[in-house]
Amino acid sequence: MSVVFDGTPPMQTSHPHPPQGALSAQELSQEIKSFISGVDSVQGRKLSVREHARCAVRLLRSVPACRGAVLEHLRGVYDEHVSAFLHHLETEGDGGAGVSSNLEDIIQEVHGVLSEFIRLHPRAWAPLVSAWAVDLLGQLSSKHAGRRAAPHSSSLNQLLQLWMSCAATRSLMEAYSQCLAAMLAWCPEACVDALLDTSVQHSPHFDWVVAHIGSAFPGTIISRVLACGLKDFCSHGSKDLPLAPAGGGDKGSRVPKIGSVVGILGHLAAHHSDSIRKELLRMFQESLSPSGPLSPSSSASSWESSPQLRRSAVPFLLQLAALSPTLLGAVSAELVELLRPPVLLQLQALLLGLSREELENMLGLAVHLISQSPTGGARVLRFLADTATPASVIISGPTPSPLDGIREACDRLLQMLLLHLHKLVYNRSDGSEGMGPSHHAASSAQPQRVIPFLEELQAHVGELCAETLRLERKRHLWLHQLLCLLSVYGGPSVATEALCQLLTQARNPEELALAWQLHTPLSACLPGLIPAAVGRCVAQIHTHTLGPRQLRQLLLNLAAAVQSQDEERRGAGPAARASVAVQVGGAVSGHLHDFCPLLLHGDPAAVLQQLVEGALHKGNAELFGGRIADMAGDTPLSPSLTPDLGASLLDTNCRFGTAVNFSGSVWSVFHAGVIGKGLKVRAAKPPHDPAAVVQNIQTLLAVTVQCCSSSTLNGGTNGSQRHPNSDPDEPPPPINAEAAKVVAMTLVENICPDVANGELSWPPEEHARTTVERDIHIRRCFEAHPVLFPLLQVVAAGRPALCYCSAVLRGLLATLLAHWEASREALATDSPWHLRASCLLVSCMGEGQLLPPVLGNVHEAFPYLTPFEVRLLLLALWEYMRGNGPMPQKFVFSPDKGLFCRDFWRDGDVARYVAPIHSVLHKNIDRLGHLCWRFQL
Amino acid sequence: MGDIRQSLLPRDVLSAAKELLYHLDIYICNLVQSGRQTPQVDTKTLELVEEFILHSPKDRNVQPRRMSALQELQLLEIMCSCFQEQSRDAVRQLMFSALFSLQGNRADESRMALLSKLVSMAVAVGRVPILECAATWLQRTHRVYCVRLARVLVDDYCSLMPGSVSTLQNIHSSSPRFCCQFITAVTTLYDLTTEDLTPPLELLQMIVSWLQDDPRLVLVTLLNTALSGSPPISSLDLTPLGGLVRWCVKAPLAYGRSEKRPPVANGTAESQAAEAGPLFSTLHLSVLQVLMMLPNVLNEKGLFGRLALLQPETLATLTSDLSRLLDLADEHGPPGDAHTLSQLALDRLAQALQVALANGALLCSREDLRAICSRLPHNNLLQLVMSGPVVYYNNIHTPPMAFSPHSAHSPISSHPTHQPLPPHPAPHPQYPAQPFLSPMPFPYRPNH
Repeated sequence: MSVVFDGTPPMQTSHPHPPQGALSAQELSQEIKSFISGVDSVQGRKLSVREHARCAVRLLRSVPACRGAVLEHLRGVYDEHVSAFLHHLETEGDGGAGVSSNLEDIIQEVHGVLSEFIRLHPRAWAPLVSAWAVDLLGQLSSKHAGRRAAPHSSSLNQLLQLWMSCAATRSLMEAYSQCLAAMLAWCPEACVDALLDTSVQHSPHFDWVVAHIGSAFPGTIISRVLACGLKDFCSHGSKDLPLAPAGGGDKGSRVPKIGSVVGILGHLAAHHSDSIRKELLRMFQESLSPSGPLSPSSSASSWESSPQLRRSAVPFLLQLAALSPTLLGAVSAELVELLRPPVLLQLQALLLGLSREELENMLGLAVHLISQSPTGGARVLRFLADTATPASVIISGPTPSPLDGIREACDRLLQMLLLHLHKLVYNRSDGSEGMGPSHHAASSAQPQRVIPFLEELQAHVGELCAETLRLERKRHLWLHQLLCLLSVYGGPSVATEALCQLLTQARNPEELALAWQLHTPLSACLPGLIPAAVGRCVAQIHTHTLGPRQLRQLLLNLAAAVQSQDEERRGAGPAARASVAVQVGGAVSGHLHDFCPLLLHGDPAAVLQQLVEGALHKGNAELFGGRIADMAGDTPLSPSLTPDLGASLLDTNCRFGTAVNFSGSVWSVFHAGVIGKGLKVRAAKPPHDPAAVVQNIQTLLAVTVQCCSSSTLNGGTNGSQRHPNSDPDEPPPPINAEAAKVVAMTLVENICPDVANGELSWPPEEHARTTVERDIHIRRCFEAHPVLFPLLQVVAAGRPALCYCSAVLRGLLATLLAHWEASREALATDSPWHLRASCLLVSCMGEGQLLPPVLGNVHEAFPYLTPFEVRLLLLALWEYMRGNGPMPQKFVFSPDKGLFCRDFWRDGDVARYVAPIHSVLHKNIDRLGHLCWRFQL
Repeated sequence: MGDIRQSLLPRDVLSAAKELLYHLDIYICNLVQSGRQTPQVDTKTLELVEEFILHSPKDRNVQPRRMSALQELQLLEIMCSCFQEQSRDAVRQLMFSALFSLQGNRADESRMALLSKLVSMAVAVGRVPILECAATWLQRTHRVYCVRLARVLVDDYCSLMPGSVSTLQNIHSSSPRFCCQFITAVTTLYDLTTEDLTPPLELLQMIVSWLQDDPRLVLVTLLNTALSGSPPISSLDLTPLGGLVRWCVKAPLAYGRSEKRPPVANGTAESQAAEAGPLFSTLHLSVLQVLMMLPNVLNEKGLFGRLALLQPETLATLTSDLSRLLDLADEHGPPGDAHTLSQLALDRLAQALQVALANGALLCSREDLRAICSRLPHNNLLQLVMSGPVVYYNNIHTPPMAFSPHSAHSPISSHPTHQPLPPHPAPHPQYPAQPFLSPMPFPYRPNH
C-alpha cells in the first residue's frame, strides 16, 4: 500500500514541491502552518479533508515533532469515514457512496505509511501505533455503538463483520495486529494490557476487537483476558453479581469486565475451545498450588503472585461458568477428573480463607452450575456420591481429618443439589397437573425450563437404578430421591423405565421395596405407571434383552409382588402396598399370554427343575404321599411358610429355632419339644389314597425319566408321553448325565439350601455331630417326601450325577447312623422307615457307583441284622466314602454303553472296608449264607 | 506580571499559553532594557509559565489542564515564530531560559517534553535562533537532561524517520554551536556499553561527515565560550573529544561483541559492524586532526597547558572498560579476529594518547599514563607511547612522533578539506563576540 505514497499524490500538482523527502525547511514550515490552520498557506484556500489528511501524512514523514498532532488529526479522518460508512449503510439504496469512497483511499494511504513505518522500525513505531490504534478503535466502537446500522454489542460476530467491512476500522485492526505481532517478540504484556485497558474503558462495544485479536493471537490473549477479568472480579467483589443470570439481557452492565471476558472467550471458543479449556483449568490449578516459587512463565505482575487473586480465582471461574454455558461445557467434564484428593485438600485449604457468606454464595453457584451442566452430569454425580460417602465404615479417629470436611462438603452439596433440583422440577410448571411436563410443553403457556443435568441423566436411568439397588448407606437414598425427581421431570417414559429397571434388577425383597418406594410419590402425578412398567418388563421377555438369570429374577420379583397381593387379601396390609400389589397383579394377569412362551421353552433342564420343585412344593407334596408336618423350628427355609398364629411369647419360645438361627455354626441347637410334654406333636393330615399316590409318583417319574433320557438336552417335552410300562420289552434309554445333574442340583437346593455348593468329599464321621440340625432337617425332608427316593434313583442312574447329591446323602446317612446307634430294638426291621431308607440309600449309592459292587450290596443283608450291625455296615460305607470321595471326574464315558462308568480299580483297595461285612456275615452265617456270594471280591 | 493570572484563567488552554508568551516577551524586553547587570525573571513569572504553558498543576488537588497534540503543535509553531521574530539575542536567551531552565520541580518533565518537541521542530523547519538557545541550554544543564534531549532528536530523526536524517544533518551549517553540543551529548549518551547505547548507523554517518567537512566543529563551543567561572555542576564536557576518543577506541570491540547477538530488526549486526568499521576509522582520523589543531586554538586563548580537554579520569574509565572488553573478546571472539580488533583498539588508544599529550589536550605525566594503562595487554605502539621521551607541550614535529602514521606531514595543512585556521577564530556570525577572560589563575577542569 505504500506504493500509493511513493508516487506523486495528485494534490502535489498544486504545490510545486521538490521530490519526496527533500522538502526544504521553508516548505515544511508552510506545511505546518497549512496543517494547523486547515488552509493552504500559499494559496489561501481551505483544504479539503483529503488534502488536509495528505498534508498530515507528509508531516508525519518529515517532521517528527508533529507526530502526535498528525495522529490526532487522523483520528478525525477515521471517524469521519466511519460516520460516512454507517450513514451509507443506513441509507442504502440512496446511492450516496461518494464520501466514503473518497476517504477510503486516504485511509489506505495512511495505512500504507503506518504499515511501512512499523515494518521498517518496529521498535520505534509499534508501541506508538498500537496505542493509537487501540484507543481510536475503542473510541470509534463506543461512539458509533448506538447507530442504527450497528448491531447490538452482544452479537459479537455481527459487530465483527460490520467493523471489518469498514475500511477505517479494518485498517486500524490490521495496524494493531501488525504492531502486536512485532511487539510479541519483546514486550507482549504492555501491548495486551493496553488492549484490555481500552477494552474495559469501552466495554462491551470494544469486545469485537479483543475477540478478533484473540483469534489471531490466542495463546497471548486468552490467558491475559482471564487474568484481567480475575483482577477486576477481585476488586469488584463477587457480591454485586447476580447468583444466576436472569435472562442474560443485562449481563455485563454492572460489572463490565466479566461480561467482556465471557463475550470474548465465547467468541474465541468457536475455534480455540481447547486453548480456553486449558487456560481455565490452568487457572484453577495455579490458584490451588501453594504459593511457592513462581513458575518461570509467570512474571511478577501476574495474578499468581497475589494471594488475594489466587483466592478469588475459584469463585471467579464459577462466576464465569455461570455466565457462559459454553465455558461451563468446556471445563465441567475435565474439572471433575482433576478433583483428586490432594487437589480437594488444596481447594479446602483455599476456601478456608473465605467468609461464610462467600462460601454460601459459592455453594449456591456450584449447585446452579451442576444443574445447568449439559454434559458430564453422571460423572459429577458419581464424584459427589463417591466423595460424600466415607471410604470405610471405620470413621477416622476422634480428631476430624481434613477428608471429613471434604466429605461433609460434598454431602452438603449433594443435598443442596437435590433440593435445588426439587425446586426446579416442581416449580417448573404451574397450571397443568404437573405430569410429564416436557411432553406438554406445547400446551403450557410458559415454555418449560430445561434442566440440562436431568436432561442428560435421563440416559443413565439404568445405571442409577443399579447403583440405587446396591443399597449403600446414604448413597441409595440420594440416588433414589434423584430417580424420583428424574421421573417427574422426564415424565411417564422415564418413570416407567426407572420402575421397570428396579423391578428387573432387584434381587431380594429389600431391594424390591425400592421400586414400590419410588412408585409411591409418583403415583400421584403419573397414573398408570405400574401397568406401563409391567408392560415394559414383559416386553423385555420378547426382545430377549435379559439373560436367563435376569429373567428369572424378574419373574420372581413379579411373583413376589403378586404374592403379597394374596397375603394382603387375607390380612390387612397397608393401603398403598395393597393397591400396588393389586395393580401389579392386575397388570401381570393382563400379560399372561406373554408368559406362556416361557413355559414352552425348550430347555429340559428348566423343565426338570420345575418338575422336581413342583413335586416338593408344599401344595403338591400330598399328591406324592408327602406329609407336610409342622416343621417349625427346623428350618429357616422361608418364613412365609409359617402362618402367623398371633403373637405369643410362649409360642415364640417354643419355636426356638426361628429366633436364633444357629445353622452352620458349631453351636447346633435343635428343639424337640417342651420338657414334660414329650415330643412335639406333629400335625399329620390323613394320607391320600395310597393307590393314587403310587400312580402319581409313577407318572412323575415317567415324565422325569422321559426328560432325562432325551439324548439331546433340547429334545423338549413335546414327544409322546411314553410310559415305561407301555413298552416293557424295549430297554429304556440311558439317563442323560447332564439332566440327572440338574435333578441332583435341584434336590440339593430344595433339601438343604445352605450347603447348595457344599463339599462333595466326606469328612470323618465324627464331624457329623456339628451338622446335626441340618442332618435332621434332611432326614425330615425324606420322611415328608417319599418321592425323594425314586428321584434319587433317577439321579443315580444318570452317573455321575449322584456325586452332586453328596451333601444330602451324607446328611441322611449321618441321621441313619445316629438312629441305628441309638436304637434299642431287637431287629432292624423294628424301625421300618429307617430300614427302608437305609436300603434305598445304599442301593442308590451302589447304582450311582459311589460305592463299589460289594459295598453297594450290603443293604441286602440289612433286614436280617440288628440295628447295631446295620450301623457297623453303614459306618464301613462312610469310611469308604471318606477314603474315596464321590468325584465326578472319576467317571469315564464308555461309548458302547452310552453311560459314564467308574473304574473302581483306580481307587484304593476295597478289602479293608469289606472286613466289617465279612465279620457280620460270619456272625450271622446261619441266616445270611445265601448272601455270601454277593460280598466276594 | 503575576497579575495577569486572573485574566489567563478563563481562557482556553491554547489562548492562555499564547497570551502568556506575548506578555512574557514584553516583560523580558522591559527587563533587558532596564539595563540591569544580570536580568532575572522572577519566580512569579516562572510559576505562570509552569501553569499555563507547561500545565503543571499548581497544587495537587487541581486536575491539570491538558493540551491536545494539535494545540501543542500550534503552541510550538507560535514559539518558533516568537523566537524567530525576536531580534535581540539577550531577550531570546532570557525567554528561553524562563521557559526551559530546569527548576528541579514537577514541571520539569513537561518542560523537557515540550523542549524536546520544540527543538525537534526547530531542526525540521530550520529555526536557527531556537537552536542557538538550545545550544546554550545544553551548556548550562545537567548532562542527564542534555542526554535526554539528544536522545529524542536521535530517535526522531534516526530511528523513527530515517529518511529525514538529512534534516538533522543541516544543523551543522545552520547552528554549529548546537551541532557541537549535540555531538557532545550523543557521545556522552552512547558509550557503547550495551547494544541500546550503541549509536545508530545513521547518526554515526552524520557525525563522521560533519567532522570530515569541518573538524573544527568540535571546538565551536570552546571557541565561543567565555570561560569566566566554573561551569555548572555535571554539565556536558566542553568538547566532545573525550566521547569521540572513547567511541573510536571501543568501537572495534563493541561492534565485534554485538556480532554474536541475534540479528536486530534493522539489518544484521554483522553488516552494521562492517559498515561502521570504516566510519570509525575516518572518525578517528578527524579526532586526531582536531587534537593537532589544539595548540593554536589554546594558545590564542592563552590556555595552552592550562586547560585539559581530556581528563585523566575519563581515560582511566576508558582503559578499564577497554580491558574488560578485551577480556570478553579473548573469551568469545574468533581468535584471529579478536586479536586484530584488540590491536586496532589499542593502536587507536595509543595514537590518541600520544597526540593528545603532544598537543596539550591531556595534561599528565608518562608516569600517570603508565598507571592508567597498566591493566591493558601488550601493544607495541602503546608501549612506545608510554616509554617514549617526555615531550611536554611540544610541537607535533618533534622526533618522538616519527613513528606515527600521521607525523610525516602536518595534518592540519595536509588534510584536503581542511581550511587553515584564521589567526583569530572568528566568533560565530550570529553572535556578538563574547570577551574571553584570558588570564586564568588555574588550569580549567570543567568536570570533576
